Amino acid sequence: MEATNFSQPLRQSSKGIIIIFAFNAVQFIKKFFVLFIAFGVSFMRRQSFGGITPTMIILGLIAIMLIILIIAILKYLNFKFHLSKDDFHLATGIINKDNTIIPKTKIQNVYIKQNFLQQLINVVSVKIETAGDKKSEIEISALDKPTALLLKKKLFLKAAIENTPLEQHEKRNVFFKISPKRLFLEGVSQNHFKSFLLIFAFIFGLYSEFQQYLEELKIEERIEDIVQLDEDTLFNLLLTNIVILILVVLVSFLFSIIKTFIINFNLEVVEHQKTIEINKGLFNKVSLSLTPSRIQNLVIKTNRLKQYFNLHSLSVKQAMVNAKQQKNFKIVALEKEQLNYLTNKLLTHYNSEIESAKPRPYFMRISALKMLIFGGVVNIITLGLIGVELLWINAVFIPIAMLYVYIGYKKAYYKITDHFITIGSGIIDTTTNILEIHKIQAIKLKQTVFQKRQQISSVIIYTASKSVTIPYINEKDALHIYNFLLYKVESQDKDWM
Amino acid sequence: MTFKNLQIQPESLPKVEDLILRPISKSYFKIITLNKLAIYAGLIGLAFGVVYFVEKNEEVQLNLWYILSILLGFCIVNFIIGYLAFKNRKYAIREHDVVYAKGLIVHSLITMPMSRIQHVEESRSWLARHFGLSTLKIFTAGESGSDLSIKGLPRIEAKQIKEIISARLNGSN
Repeated sequence: MEATNFSQPLRQSSKGIIIIFAFNAVQFIKKFFVLFIAFGVSFMRRQSFGGITPTMIILGLIAIMLIILIIAILKYLNFKFHLSKDDFHLATGIINKDNTIIPKTKIQNVYIKQNFLQQLINVVSVKIETAGDKKSEIEISALDKPTALLLKKKLFLKAAIENTPLEQHEKRNVFFKISPKRLFLEGVSQNHFKSFLLIFAFIFGLYSEFQQYLEELKIEERIEDIVQLDEDTLFNLLLTNIVILILVVLVSFLFSIIKTFIINFNLEVVEHQKTIEINKGLFNKVSLSLTPSRIQNLVIKTNRLKQYFNLHSLSVKQAMVNAKQQKNFKIVALEKEQLNYLTNKLLTHYNSEIESAKPRPYFMRISALKMLIFGGVVNIITLGLIGVELLWINAVFIPIAMLYVYIGYKKAYYKITDHFITIGSGIIDTTTNILEIHKIQAIKLKQTVFQKRQQISSVIIYTASKSVTIPYINEKDALHIYNFLLYKVESQDKDWM
Repeated sequence: MTFKNLQIQPESLPKVEDLILRPISKSYFKIITLNKLAIYAGLIGLAFGVVYFVEKNEEVQLNLWYILSILLGFCIVNFIIGYLAFKNRKYAIREHDVVYAKGLIVHSLITMPMSRIQHVEESRSWLARHFGLSTLKIFTAGESGSDLSIKGLPRIEAKQIKEIISARLNGSN
């Protein structure tokens, strides 16, 4: 195929009809799902519904599908885009004609995505995100890949032209490619607690119904022979509980691994001159590029186990990217050197080789208090529901809680250099938050009455993507930091984006 | 352990702690009072209603005075705290930033550099209009927690501040 000329109004690839059709059909089914079920049930019961025969229903469905198909074709025919010198133009709409013009300079991000269906028919969708409204996103849902890449390049070209004279063949330097083994390790070493909770909630719902049934059975048994079974059934119940627990743990384990695999399949980090490109995904392939100037925070996460395998994950928080998209900007299973290299690429001259400062031990007191309240509530609930027998759990809970408090304190630190703030935190995970000082949007000093007496306060730093807290430090230090950061932000004339 | 590695002497930095913050308009306390009175009037009315109905239907004796005195005690404490917290609501406009302090039990001091402000808004509620007050809302690109809303400013002052900030915004861009 010859190089596409974007200056003329273009349609998508004709396969776009399929995508639009599938999308609309799915939406239609989603909207009327409940209706379908209600209708279906009443139909099953009575065999007919107000004189409607099965053939009529099938014909009706075919008619609806045909209408959706016609709408899809019309949508496809009326969807035209082209590039002018500085702008991207898009005309859409069957009856209401919309004409959107986006200046190239205002384009924030261009994503290339490919869901399962798109993979099957070998097209990609291009999503253009602007800095403005969250709603003002444009999606071209079916383009063949070379065209999409060319479009992306052209969209970015004008915006970047003042910085770099265009290099015809920018070399594709694949900086990092994940191996299945490391991906597997990443899946294994994940915080399974989250998927555990997810599955636990799901299974608990099923189990509680099941349990009621069990209990009814048990009562019947008891009536049959009162003397014998009491201890046995209790033991049995405990055993089933344990088996179920192990099953749940196993399932959540598998769940994490599969989830990691699907999301990060073939993860690839490509280094360009200015930007960094991330490609990943099995069913939903995504391709994103990162521009260093838009980055607000970097979050590095690892845990004990991951450290052992040399696995680190790096999340990049950008301004005004919606939460769903934000999740995609995560690179997992990086080695330490790769991580350092990437950090340096994204934040020039990042250095953290200074002595770190720690919060006051008061930190432990607060988290101990929180633990105490949590433990108290849990205790009261177990006492109310189960009785005194289960109070031995405290023997396990208290040491864990103490460890939790201690590790939380041990991992907390902060470093402030001339250009960067680094804050460490975490309990199971080890989290490192890095942000550039000139990206700060506002700073807050927070102090409760109790902290005032001990001259402790916390500093909260807001950026355009998230806020970070330096918890419980000396009031004097806090004020120093406060003044210093303000001075830095206000004295430099650096833009935050 | 202490805060180090500064090339600038921390003593020479402009200090936010030395700043003399301006209190907001005194009449804003009237608005707070009115709001609270409305809530407590509602609660007391509710208490009367509950006692009335319960005594009618059942034999249970609820001590009305007991409930009322608890409510009253609550009300008084709430008012004292409210007043002290009101005293803590202060603000300052510096050359390069806006400072706002509030809160008694949890005291917070937030500073927003002028160069990061996205837009300013002046809004007036029905009650505030009667007292000649306005609320000044200042927005950054940061997440919602970092947006400022200075309540109970005299209208003229709010206008002036808005103009100052707007001028800065237009001047720098």
